[in-house]
Amino acid sequence: MDSVTLTIDGRPVTVAKGKTVLQAAIESGISVPYYCYHPGISIDGSCRVCVVKIEKMPKLQTSCSTLCADGMVVSTRDRDVVEARAGVFEFLLINHPLDCPVCDKGGECPLQDFSYTFGPAESRMDFPRRVFDGEGVKADVDFGPTLMLNRNRCILCTRCVRFMKEIDGDAQIGIVDRGYGSEIATFQEQGVHSLISGNLMDVCPVGAILTKDYRFKSRPWDNPGVVDTICTLCSKGCNTSAWLKAKPEWARGSRLIRMTPRYNPDVNGYWMCDIGRFNYHWIEGENRLRRPMMRGSAGSAAQAAPLEASAWHDVQPRLRDRLQEAGSGGAFHFLASAHASMEELFVLKQLAEALLGGDAMKSVSIGWEATEKPQPATTKFKVPVTDAPNVNGARDLGFAVGRGNEGPADLSGLRKAVEAGTVKALYVIDPAGPKGSLGDISWIAAARRSGALSLLVVQAVVTSELTEAADFVLPGSAWVEKDAIYTNDQGRVQAASRAIAPPGEALEDWQILVNVGRSLGVALPYESSGDVRRALAAAMTGYSEAERLAFMRPVPASTWMQASNPSERWKWDFLFQDLPPTKGHNVQMEGLPAQATPFIPLKPVQ
Amino acid sequence: MDYAPARFHASARKLAEQGGDFAYTPENQAKFDAVVQRYPADQRKSAILYALYLAQGQQGYLSPAAMSHVAHHIRCTAAEVEDVVSYYTMFFTKPVGKYVINVCRTLSCALLGAERVTEQLSEVLGIAPGETDPTGTFTLLEVECLGACDRGPVLMINDTDWHERLAPENVRTFVDDLRTRGVGALTGCHLHKEGGKT
Repeated sequence: MDSVTLTIDGRPVTVAKGKTVLQAAIESGISVPYYCYHPGISIDGSCRVCVVKIEKMPKLQTSCSTLCADGMVVSTRDRDVVEARAGVFEFLLINHPLDCPVCDKGGECPLQDFSYTFGPAESRMDFPRRVFDGEGVKADVDFGPTLMLNRNRCILCTRCVRFMKEIDGDAQIGIVDRGYGSEIATFQEQGVHSLISGNLMDVCPVGAILTKDYRFKSRPWDNPGVVDTICTLCSKGCNTSAWLKAKPEWARGSRLIRMTPRYNPDVNGYWMCDIGRFNYHWIEGENRLRRPMMRGSAGSAAQAAPLEASAWHDVQPRLRDRLQEAGSGGAFHFLASAHASMEELFVLKQLAEALLGGDAMKSVSIGWEATEKPQPATTKFKVPVTDAPNVNGARDLGFAVGRGNEGPADLSGLRKAVEAGTVKALYVIDPAGPKGSLGDISWIAAARRSGALSLLVVQAVVTSELTEAADFVLPGSAWVEKDAIYTNDQGRVQAASRAIAPPGEALEDWQILVNVGRSLGVALPYESSGDVRRALAAAMTGYSEAERLAFMRPVPASTWMQASNPSERWKWDFLFQDLPPTKGHNVQMEGLPAQATPFIPLKPVQ
Repeated sequence: MDYAPARFHASARKLAEQGGDFAYTPENQAKFDAVVQRYPADQRKSAILYALYLAQGQQGYLSPAAMSHVAHHIRCTAAEVEDVVSYYTMFFTKPVGKYVINVCRTLSCALLGAERVTEQLSEVLGIAPGETDPTGTFTLLEVECLGACDRGPVLMINDTDWHERLAPENVRTFVDDLRTRGVGALTGCHLHKEGGKT
């Protein structure tokens, strides 16, 4: 690839041809502020804060829209640049309300960060600020089903406009009116209706666009834990960060406070969809299974006996007896969701082979759902139809998955066998909520109620019609509660990390399967999910990397700011490492001769 | 997906006035089809101003239905059309009167008393600048330079006809004249008369 070499702040920098001066500066760790530039969308050049001085160019240039050329000599700390930049910041803050204490962006806001670092220490604005829609949080107006808009905070960088036009493919946001009255708006205030609308909160460099989900729920410094993980709600496997609110274990309310995308150019870029972003409340919700349950713990095995919460050590022996009873009949079947991770399916495969011998693979069905997502045809971020993360993993393990990620699972064969009475005992594994991930399986509950099934074991995470009908309910873990690997629709093996602990007595799903296996006398020599991965990596081709995948733990509180504002987060890898934002002290002015006012003074106001 | 059913404070933004359904008349459709052909297929959006001009000519103003209709024809979103409509002051988003009186308020006219003219018009018509009278006959607007600075104060009626040297004290007669004789009451633009069509 062609490269060009230029000098930025006296430092020689070599970058690929076609990069802009701003990108070159970011890559080499030189701090240049920016708002309208976002690496995921097109260049606009409207915010003006990225100005730099380039030798032989008559005026200051916006570095985001100036291409690098060989021999260019760029300065980001020249006095002209520092003064012009401070002037732009002063203008940006003329009308921006100083409501940071109530703004959800406060603490992870690029406008705060950059203003502290590059802007003037105080404003000279003596006039009332321009307001739209009212003052304070009253100005938060509805911006579609997922978002809020506060026009007073908007600095008109138009990132949201460009995001909707370029990434979503349906330009629902525009700028109405002009000049001083310009405001971000949707047609007739209809709001943004998009499957990827949550990304607008991430691209917004101020607190103008916020999600209703996260509004007033937490502050960045109250979310000290951030866990790098992946989303498992569809076959795409977007890389995400799970944010944890700091609170003691015993306090009410959830710890999981939001999901945000994490940059991965090969999978999801900078984005994620609203399903993955907002569909996490069930994980710490009321419907979670917290204790194992069985029917007739008092002694009678009657189906009419109520389902009662019990303890693992009471459930295990009875489950063993019932499984042995059913196994001797020879009509035993497993139904696993493709939400089960590689580890779980691997243990399941070994368990089935040990129990059922040669018929093992025929006795395991894999289930998942597929739904067509309504999206514009031109969207750059396509949400796949398959609503399960690990269909390809199940295929790699040798399970029958039919057409794979192209459509829903075909469980009609199993249904016929259950209704005809050839399958008498069914063990269902579904670690997904809130409605399960196996599609319409009311026929299983019906078969158990009618007696066509004599034993139904359900290993799940939320209560459902299926768990109501089951003889045994074994509480498993959601994907954020276990270290696990999944194979997405590209065949990429990715790690989901344990961010929080499973609730109550719930166990990680591989552990439940190992315990069941051991009680039945199957040798499953695993003490941790890492053991399973090690065995899996040794046993399967193409999975040699599985044991080396990194599982993250919450990053400590001291680094929360480096992890803040997810779509900006990558910049923290380069920026500010030597220049922490400091209030009242303009680090860019360091080394320059002292001067009373770093900007051109206006006439004093009477 | 309904993430947050709560209702929030309503936006204060002034929206275009709702009208009925809108579709180009066959003549306007033919005009649009002829003009849009001049643009490359991938830049069809560039015909937006002409498309809006046709729609406003047909309906008098641009209702949400008209904006959606234009968006459909130039193949962009309604939000992008609203973006353009709200940018240009010559597009109206609510019904205007039969005569839209644009009073120049730029320097030459202002020095010659354009402000007085506007005040007089306001008083005679009973409407403030930006408003339309209840009978739907007059809309009063203040605009920037109309290009006939040597004969100020200047008015422009409906984008087409000029009236020059309107002294504040003549406003009442002028309005009566306009009511009875229509655009025939106007002096026209001297530049047109002297230089032919420019």
